Amino acid sequence: MLNKKQLLFTKIFIYLCYGTVLVFFLFPMLWVISLSLKTQQELFATPPAIIPTSFAYENYLHVLENSNVLLYLRNSFIIVLFTVIFALITAIPAAYAISRFRFKGKSALLVTILMTQMISAVVISIPLYRLFAEWGLINNYVVLIIVYVAVVLPFSTWFLKGYFDTIPYELDEAAIVDGCTRFQILTRILIPTCLPGIVSVTILIAVQSWSQFVIPFILLDNESFYPVSVGVMNLQSTQQTISTHLLAAGSVISVLPVIILFVILQRFIVGALTSGAVKG
Amino acid sequence: MNTSNKRSALSLTLTKGIGNSPIPWLIPLSLILLFVFLFPVFEIIRYSFTDASFLETDYSYTISSFVRLFTLPGFYQMLIVTLIFVTASVFFQMFFGFLIALLIDKGQKLNLKGTVMVRTAVLTAWAIPGVVIGIIWRIMYTETPSGILNYLISFVGVDIVPFLSDPYMALFAVTLANIWRGTAFSMILLYAGIQTLPKDVMEAAKIDGASAIQRLLKVMLPMLAPIILINLIIISIDTFNTFDMVMALTGGGPGQSTEVIALSIYNSIFREFNLGHGAATAVVLLTINVGMTIVYLRVLGKRGAA
Repeated sequence: MLNKKQLLFTKIFIYLCYGTVLVFFLFPMLWVISLSLKTQQELFATPPAIIPTSFAYENYLHVLENSNVLLYLRNSFIIVLFTVIFALITAIPAAYAISRFRFKGKSALLVTILMTQMISAVVISIPLYRLFAEWGLINNYVVLIIVYVAVVLPFSTWFLKGYFDTIPYELDEAAIVDGCTRFQILTRILIPTCLPGIVSVTILIAVQSWSQFVIPFILLDNESFYPVSVGVMNLQSTQQTISTHLLAAGSVISVLPVIILFVILQRFIVGALTSGAVKG
Repeated sequence: MNTSNKRSALSLTLTKGIGNSPIPWLIPLSLILLFVFLFPVFEIIRYSFTDASFLETDYSYTISSFVRLFTLPGFYQMLIVTLIFVTASVFFQMFFGFLIALLIDKGQKLNLKGTVMVRTAVLTAWAIPGVVIGIIWRIMYTETPSGILNYLISFVGVDIVPFLSDPYMALFAVTLANIWRGTAFSMILLYAGIQTLPKDVMEAAKIDGASAIQRLLKVMLPMLAPIILINLIIISIDTFNTFDMVMALTGGGPGQSTEVIALSIYNSIFREFNLGHGAATAVVLLTINVGMTIVYLRVLGKRGAA
């Protein structure tokens, strides 16, 4: 049994560790927010002030008016939305087939899917760039989203297959006896029962597509099509010379929507990552 | 036996009609993966055996790209940079991830407040796109007295640290930023692993008089070994493929001191327009990817059998 003194000591020690972890992980973000609210003079002040004195929110107005951040956000939103939809449309039937059918080459198929997951996006983007350039498909959202879908398909299929596996086959059999077709079994029984898993995989797809950089960076060359990840890079190269506080404001705007969503959904995200991990 | 009879009877009724073969269900997935993975992989291997330039369409087949790659001193330097970056990132991400997972687990058992806050803070770093992480750390590393890290370091009496302009410091700086970014993933995975540990075993070890350190090293770690190994492989592959954060933070410089393999492929092709050379480097990365996947499958297979 721990005595009271030891317990108190342990608690204090853990809180000290929590404090260190919080400072290490939050400080860079808070510092960028602080910079984004400074004026140009404050920016070069020595020593730097931790909390801005001027609270220059006009930096944000300036960025919103003079850059395409909002357009980038809109583009990201469109790309992520369609990637999620088409990835689910493709992954759900495939996961169903792998989970419910017995066929030759099933384990080979699973291994192939896993292999594709491990291939670097840089490697696949280069031949695709050449192909799309030849076909005049650079800056085309349809092919871009197909590539996005392909990148998230492997883990989505594995994840959903694992989830379907946990649903007893007797449920399918009962439905067959009642005269359901395979398609009806999927849409009326498996999808509703697996909704938590589908939500988890949706979140994972959304996070991955939102952060995706290499693919849009190589397959798009017109700024008005850029998603946030590539757009911010553009902002860096154009604004850097002008000033850091505007770049900071632009960065904050570009990550704010995801961070808010993340804080709200963090319980689900942890659940999604965890269930994926436990099933391997 | 009864159920297996029923099942075979049922699958018999299911053999007629569309949708009762796995093939239609798998067609969309197969087409997309063939087009986006198999075709490009085939192409990149083909390019690696050519002297193709990115700008021209004419080329001939040769192994000169590989010969040149393996004789250039720059190639080995790039591999060393990549290996240092990957090894240090992976080690510290797992180390800190495990430590934070333990702290959160312990905190929850003691009903401490703030465990969710700590978890969310770490996870947020993981949610930020790599380019923005590069920008954030570039701002942190500013090499003037108004740069925040340099300001903080000045209290210890150290002069301005050239975080991004000194080759060795730059590699350190990129690795630190990557540890910041990736710790969350290991934390969550290992936290999930800790939750699956059988409580009675841990209790038994405690009753037998094992100290906290002994319980950690002799009981917990061996039981977590499979998940640690899986975690290790996933994040190693991820780190080998890292591109965006380094590009925004240092662009691979100064010189080529932080040019990791994925960035090197991009630079050879899109900056030097040397498709053959870049493709040959890509094949090296591809080999690393495939090799690690095979190890991963071995681990998974063992885990499934156990």
